[in-house]
Amino acid sequence: MGNTGMMPDDRRNLTLRLSVLQGIIAAVFGVLAVGFWVFQIVQYEEFKDRADNNHLRRLALRAPRGVVLDRHGEVLISNRVTFNIALVREQVRDLDRTLRILSDATGVDEQEFRDRITRFSREPAYRPVVLIPNASDELRIAVSARALELPGVIAEEVPTRRYPTSALAAHIFGYVTEVREEQLARPEFTGIGPGAIVGQAGVEQAYNTLLMGVEGRREVVVNSIGREIEVLGTEKPIEGRSLQLTIDADVQRATEEMFQHLGYNGAAVILEPQSGEVLSLVSLPAYNPNLFATGIDRASWSALNTDTLRPLSNRALQGRYSPGSTFKIVVAVAALEEGVSTPERQIFCPGSATFFGRSFRCHKAGGHGSLDLRRALEQSCNVYFYTLGNMLGIDRIHKWADALGMADRTGIDLPNEVQSIMPSTAWKLRTRGERWYPGETISVAIGQGQVSTTPLSMAVMMMTLANGGTRHTPHLLKAIDEGRGFEPVPVPAPKSAVQMKASTMKAVGDGLWMAVHSGTARRAMLPGRDISGKTGTAQVISLGAAQAAKGKMDVRHHGWFVFFAPRDNPEIAGVIFAEHAGGSGFSLPIAKHAIETYFAKKEGLPLPVIEKPVTAPVVIADVAPATAPVAPPRSGGNP
Amino acid sequence: MFERRLYFHIDWALLAAVLLIVAIGLVMIYSTTYVTVGGVSRAGPQVKTQVYALVLGLMALAICMMVDYRMLAEHSLLLYFGLLGLLIYVLVKGSTQFGAQRWISLGAFNLQPSEFARIVLSLILAMYFGENRRGARNTGDLLVGGIFVAVPLLLIAKQPDLGTAATLVPVFLGVAYLAGLRMRLLGAIALIAVLVAPVAWQFALKDYQKSRIQTFIDPQQDPRGAGYQTIQARITVGSGGLTGKGFMEGTQGQYKFLPVAHNDFIFSVLAEEQGFLGVLVVLGLYLFVVLRSLEAARLAKDRLGVYLVGGIIAGFTFQVVYNVAMSVGLAPVKGITLPLMSYGGSSLIATLAAFGLILNVRMRQFTN
Repeated sequence: MGNTGMMPDDRRNLTLRLSVLQGIIAAVFGVLAVGFWVFQIVQYEEFKDRADNNHLRRLALRAPRGVVLDRHGEVLISNRVTFNIALVREQVRDLDRTLRILSDATGVDEQEFRDRITRFSREPAYRPVVLIPNASDELRIAVSARALELPGVIAEEVPTRRYPTSALAAHIFGYVTEVREEQLARPEFTGIGPGAIVGQAGVEQAYNTLLMGVEGRREVVVNSIGREIEVLGTEKPIEGRSLQLTIDADVQRATEEMFQHLGYNGAAVILEPQSGEVLSLVSLPAYNPNLFATGIDRASWSALNTDTLRPLSNRALQGRYSPGSTFKIVVAVAALEEGVSTPERQIFCPGSATFFGRSFRCHKAGGHGSLDLRRALEQSCNVYFYTLGNMLGIDRIHKWADALGMADRTGIDLPNEVQSIMPSTAWKLRTRGERWYPGETISVAIGQGQVSTTPLSMAVMMMTLANGGTRHTPHLLKAIDEGRGFEPVPVPAPKSAVQMKASTMKAVGDGLWMAVHSGTARRAMLPGRDISGKTGTAQVISLGAAQAAKGKMDVRHHGWFVFFAPRDNPEIAGVIFAEHAGGSGFSLPIAKHAIETYFAKKEGLPLPVIEKPVTAPVVIADVAPATAPVAPPRSGGNP
Repeated sequence: MFERRLYFHIDWALLAAVLLIVAIGLVMIYSTTYVTVGGVSRAGPQVKTQVYALVLGLMALAICMMVDYRMLAEHSLLLYFGLLGLLIYVLVKGSTQFGAQRWISLGAFNLQPSEFARIVLSLILAMYFGENRRGARNTGDLLVGGIFVAVPLLLIAKQPDLGTAATLVPVFLGVAYLAGLRMRLLGAIALIAVLVAPVAWQFALKDYQKSRIQTFIDPQQDPRGAGYQTIQARITVGSGGLTGKGFMEGTQGQYKFLPVAHNDFIFSVLAEEQGFLGVLVVLGLYLFVVLRSLEAARLAKDRLGVYLVGGIIAGFTFQVVYNVAMSVGLAPVKGITLPLMSYGGSSLIATLAAFGLILNVRMRQFTN
């Protein structure tokens, strides 16, 4: 091996080459170290976040919405636990197959799943997408039977709204659904993500922010296939605020039950006249909000929307109807307050009267003869109020209708209230571009013509009359529990206040008392309760048109009854509106039952029960329809 | 055969550094493969396998150190053909794992002959260029050397194991460089490579190969697919920070976001759990081993010894640099393991044997 020995020349050359090699290698290692320095020191924060995003999962825990109680503490809305069948997308390998099997197992249309997944496509893939909200036990069993074929399909426990009283007060409560996509952009829904449960009507909508609570979160460590390794921490959701409503569940129930007993739809509002608290607010037909809480199916939803009886509409504040004779109260107050007439003034009713060359009839064919304001209210004499209306003119009627709350929104704490229509010269010029003809005032004086009011504004009118002129804002929220027990919320400021003359209140009050005790509203009489009130009939359609439309639509008149009780220092004031009742007759027993329930409860007496079924409708005519020429055809209902 | 005085010339510092790296590797393998049973963590089967390989590797090291390397070189042609035989055997009858035929099943062990190709090649090239007075100045000699490399390279590439095959190239370049390869020639090779690259890109590379290179350049193109490992490697390393997440506390490796963490990406896990400081320590150890080995080349008694060390160290350094760069997402993902640290018995045994040869060369610097 001697031949492999090295010459000094070779040695030098080799040493040089080795040194170069060592230098290069040392430099390469230096570059690598700098590379690590850049990643680990310079960009540390960024990579730390990305590593955390890899293995840390923050899962939202839905907060139960706040419990809602009535004024005496009865639970009206609470929560229960249900199960959603959901899909964790990152754990699904073959989405098509999974959805096919799931659809197969549950009978739910595959397209419905896809729509839901699309809506959540921007959420992180580890967040479960709810495919079947509030799945029944049968569905859960069907799905778990095929769990092996359905990786990534889970059943998650969620708090769900529960309305123990079913359809009772549905229009007060409203309902909840998953937030709709177009709602997410709205300011009141900032901070809410898709899938959140929000109120869509009623108190659920009006007080959504208070009721929603704060989502909790669960932080878990997962491995690369999304399996949970460890729970790092759980932040419990904070339940929404508990609310106490001004509603009295028993009065509410009594009102609705009597409606149903008699077989009528309609609306009712009962207020506490010194504060504007709503004791009862009814709109029928209603819906069962529990259907929405569990994710209403398409068929039920479209049925509710296409029903010609419009169960989703809250008639009490969204329906506008001709007030009929109940409007005579406003005319009476206006005439006395404006000084154009006195309570003692006698007017002769021959059965009809002529104004501006046209004849306007009274409902009593032979006429009432000579009567004063009290008896005119008692008997609901048209001629008397035609005359007062003519003396007042439309603008002074409008002024007092406004003071009593019938020309404005009431400001109730429920969404989508519509405004009553109370004509005036300015109103007609603004809306029609025409001047007001004095002849039109005659019809308005008995609540026909172009005046159109919501039941709620009628209740406000009676409340304002009952308390002497203060137009309180009707409201449903009584107290909030912020965690320290229920604390009353401040009463909203009155919308307006006038000081009515004592003589006005006395005269009108007498007239209304007489109407119940000896006049048109006798069926509402309750011994010892001194109910004062006034009936009214709202024509659905003029008589001529009614003949033509017969069989095609329900042309029976709506029946009104407005009231307060007792006569002195009234405690309740309100309105009953019986849709297509044929006349005011059937609104009376409903009012009577509700008022009786109120007093019985207050005095600790047994609550009245509805006894015998009512057989045939007994129509008590209070107002004959006005003469044809002035009364235009109209539909009383809210379109 | 083993003279007593040789004992005093063993490079204990190099041996200690090598064994320290192996020990760190074992710790990292433990961290990435432990299993928890009933709340108690226990070593995974990989640690046990690696310890067995270490024992065998130390025996191989001792043998390769004690037998005079000149004697081994004399038999290098025999070893070379033995290697080719094994590689052919693997292609015909080898066991298949992960879609490649790389292993010979020996019952308890799976032998991967390609891991030993670098040693055998270093020996035969050192022998060929060492016996030749002209060194590597002659193009014809280079061609012969190239053929020595090409045959096992093609056989390994056929398995297919392009990563391991590629490690043979630096062995050749290392020996050739020390044997006096003209720099002009080296420059010409580099120039040709640069000129050929776009042509190769256009005609020679298949679409999937192109996409692999593209995703390396911009991993975000396909973050769930081809770019996944590169992205996860960067996250793993970057999230380690200065001091790391702690032993067995890494999230990327522990929760399997980074695949084959105990193998190809063991350095990423080290960077994650021990941080930049841990990286500096281990990189320092590797650099020490490489520079110290090149010292052995400098001290070598003959050209055979120089070239032998040069070949081994060139292959070793290439593996280390490539794997470390890959582990931080700076090189495309290829199946090149980190010698001494990555899990893998054949690799550990072969590498320890190679260091046995380096110790051998240094130890015999004064012998005749």
